[in-house]
Amino acid sequence: MSPSRLVNVSEGWFRLLLRLYPADFRDDMGEAFVETYRDRARDALARGGVIALARVWVRAVIDSVRNGPGERARPAIAWRRTGNWGRDVEMATRRLRRAPALVLAIVGTLTIGLGTFAVVYTVVQRILFDSMPYKRPGDLYFVWRDYGPMIDMKRGWLGGTDVAELQKAGGPIEDASGVGRLLATLSVREAVEPAEISVLIVSPNFFDVLGVTPARGRGFARHEVGPGRPDLVVLTHDLWTRLGADPAILGTSVQLNGQQQTVIGVMPPDFGFVRHASVGRPQRADAYVTFNVDLAKTNPDAGSYGCLIRGRQGSRSEAVAAAVDTVGRLIDARDFKGRGLRLYPTGLKADLVAPVRPALVVLGVAGIFLMLVLMVNVASVLLARAAQREHEYAISRALGANGVALVRATLFEGALLGALGGIGSSLLAIWGTRLLVALAPLDLPRREAVAVDWRIVATIVVLGTVAGVLASIAPALWASRATLASLLSASAVRGGGGHRRMRGAMVVVQVALSLVLLSAGGLVVRSFGRLLRADPGFRPEGVVSMRVPLPPQFYREAPAAMAAQDRVERALAAIPGVAAVSATSALPLTGLTGQQTVRIPGAPGNTGDINHDGVLADIIGTRAGYVEVMNMRVVAGRSFDPVRREGLREVLLDRALAQHFFPNANPIGATFPLRDNTVTIVGVVDQARMYDVHRDGRPQIYIRGEDFTFRTMIFVIRTTRDPQSLMPDARAAIRTIDPRIALAEVRTMEEVVVNALRQQRISAVLIAGFALGALLLASLGLYGVVSGSVTRRRHELGVRLALGADHHRALRLVLVDGARLVGAGLLIGVPATLITGGLIRGVLVGVSPWDPVTLVSVAGGLAVVALIACYVPARRVLRIDPAQSLRQP
Amino acid sequence: MGMDRNRGGLFRRLPLRTVEFHILLSLAAGERHGYGIIQDIQARGEATVPDVGTMYRALARMADTGLIAAAARRPAPDANDERRNYYRITDEGRRVARAEVRRLEALMRAARVGGLAGKAAK
Repeated sequence: MSPSRLVNVSEGWFRLLLRLYPADFRDDMGEAFVETYRDRARDALARGGVIALARVWVRAVIDSVRNGPGERARPAIAWRRTGNWGRDVEMATRRLRRAPALVLAIVGTLTIGLGTFAVVYTVVQRILFDSMPYKRPGDLYFVWRDYGPMIDMKRGWLGGTDVAELQKAGGPIEDASGVGRLLATLSVREAVEPAEISVLIVSPNFFDVLGVTPARGRGFARHEVGPGRPDLVVLTHDLWTRLGADPAILGTSVQLNGQQQTVIGVMPPDFGFVRHASVGRPQRADAYVTFNVDLAKTNPDAGSYGCLIRGRQGSRSEAVAAAVDTVGRLIDARDFKGRGLRLYPTGLKADLVAPVRPALVVLGVAGIFLMLVLMVNVASVLLARAAQREHEYAISRALGANGVALVRATLFEGALLGALGGIGSSLLAIWGTRLLVALAPLDLPRREAVAVDWRIVATIVVLGTVAGVLASIAPALWASRATLASLLSASAVRGGGGHRRMRGAMVVVQVALSLVLLSAGGLVVRSFGRLLRADPGFRPEGVVSMRVPLPPQFYREAPAAMAAQDRVERALAAIPGVAAVSATSALPLTGLTGQQTVRIPGAPGNTGDINHDGVLADIIGTRAGYVEVMNMRVVAGRSFDPVRREGLREVLLDRALAQHFFPNANPIGATFPLRDNTVTIVGVVDQARMYDVHRDGRPQIYIRGEDFTFRTMIFVIRTTRDPQSLMPDARAAIRTIDPRIALAEVRTMEEVVVNALRQQRISAVLIAGFALGALLLASLGLYGVVSGSVTRRRHELGVRLALGADHHRALRLVLVDGARLVGAGLLIGVPATLITGGLIRGVLVGVSPWDPVTLVSVAGGLAVVALIACYVPARRVLRIDPAQSLRQP
Repeated sequence: MGMDRNRGGLFRRLPLRTVEFHILLSLAAGERHGYGIIQDIQARGEATVPDVGTMYRALARMADTGLIAAAARRPAPDANDERRNYYRITDEGRRVARAEVRRLEALMRAARVGGLAGKAAK
């Protein structure tokens, strides 16, 4: 082979090796690289012949294998070496300042979307994840009774005797405190109107179990409990503030139910505790006192004590559960003849948040979906902007700007926009969270902890920045590929760079995500609609309720209290516009009622099984006329006689209980023992639902309040007037009877119903808001794509029109573009919707998570809105003048 | 702004890598094409002459950072008058090279004081 031919073959070899280098290096240096190797090869051949040439070949392989990949990895290094962040900031801000509309659009979208997310994030974070403000909160548990086969009560309060045993148990149980509750009338001075407050009655070690100390004064000493204990009270910060925040309050007295109590301590402002309820809602406290009984000597049958225990440090929850179970077995054997009572602990926080957990999880997931839609939307706007700047990019590239610099600049712009959005949304979140807390149900767990703090602000700003960066990755990559060549080809007939396909894909993703959010939203809203339409068993319209506490300290003898109730009823009935007045011991939908096991000896439904024949029922004391005032339904028999007859104690059963004891038989007239008396069934009613709006709760027995001396009754007034205008009159009427009475919870029954549905209402509103936000964002994305498509195809459509296609045909062409994207989005969205359906099952009432009506109508609605979003920009096709568009391609 | 950046950059760019210093040394004497630079390095008696790829990567980076610039492509008398890409040193490159020389001189002085190098022939 001739030397020149050998050199040529070598050149081919070097060109092959050049492929190991990245494209931009090949463009800039490739020719020189090959020439230099060729010079080298020629030299080697001349000096050392074929052997030397071979050595150059091998050397070139080693060189290229080392440096080629090295050069490919260089952008990352170059980023660090040649970065000039200050200049980038300056350039990015300058560029953004020139496009205020774009900045406003993106930052506005981010602020609203991210702000909504931030509110939900705050709530979820604070309620589900933040630890409670106690010492080692993970070691705190509430203990419950599970009555097993005896009665249907899996989460019952403990007997005082159980608490006493747990306090003695030791082992993994470090300490235990009983927690009872009392609603008491608080009066400080004669002149001040008395108020009802919630008092928790606790063991003296209560604050030690929680690991907290009062901010002022002291807690209870170990011996300050039981009969004859000193009357001491510890106030919460909140109550202390309401009483005037007087630092000298320690040592002074306040009156609880007319009894002097010495204030010994005030808790710190961040202290909050709720007593977990067996049924119904957690109970807040304004003040703390200790038990005036010896828990070990209470009636073991009566479950009325909450119990807080602290596990020993390092004890696993299984060990604590085992220790509690051991105590439970002992109590079962001693007090329940081994019928199967169990005790079990639940973690303090898990127990508290369990009822809202499903709703919060759904909200959190919905928030994440919204974030995704938001990011895709911002990405698509940034991409559109990048496309507009195609010229600029290509020219910068041609003038020598490297791809890395362009990528960096674009990413930086995204980050800057994201950070701005993050800051905006933090402000929105602070305000939004306050609003949400104000609207949230009073018993939302850890309500007081729900507020935005600097950590959440930092998280949101970082999240916004990251979202901005992620959203600008696609446009950045695209921008870095823009070259003069691609720009030239873009003006050719085919038109358009890769960004249109990318934007199309983004719209598909947005439509799919929106479908998921919309169907979740649709299902939750439909479920809420079911709840709103549900019949709670009474008619709340035109009914006002108010609690009238008559503590024994004010009315020592029961007949005096009953007489006072008669006077209250007469005074209320005398108010103009009042149609009827009655009273109950337990208002529907509040869950605040006592239970008792009821047996009806000789009833036809009895089977002889001791567990089957005893039914745990809510015992509700009412005055005559309650059924009428509340508009409950009497199924059989009659309601209470307006005139109470001595010797006849009337009761009403609810339908379920009547069915249980008297299947296919008439219960009217049957008698049974209740609380040391014999009662007579006079009627059967449908439940005025105590717990949930949409379903019956525990069986109910209505008894006459006068028969069993219910001191504190909630009076209900049916009026033809506006209920709000009635309230001052009612207050005045009560005050004339006894100024010591602290009228409490004056509200309309409609408010009671609304309150019972607050959590569901908030979930529904938030999810619906998320879904509509996603729909709006997806529509905007679609609008942009179709609008761009019309602009791009103006020339092509002009040609078509000139060749005889009519405008509608052209319009259809553009619409089909959009419809294809919508269709693809729906195709992807439907399976995703079916998958997420299972996730929200827990929060739905009366609606299947795969409810075809909802899903089809949501998909249909989305398709219609999406097509409108296509149609509006597509209409521009109709204005295309073929002659003009042909002249100006 | 450009001036500030360069002045700050002068010290940030030191020390130069061996291959970079060699390139600046060659170009300081006049414009060179790639193989010319390699031949210069060989002539300086360096034990390991950099590979072609290593050198071109350095050239690319130095062109990016303004130490050198591409000169006109023209026939090379030493390669049968085939056309070659030539490079020239920029003012900035010259400044950086001088700064590197000063740095090396300072090191040499220190080495002599420490007895690691012979006395300079004067």
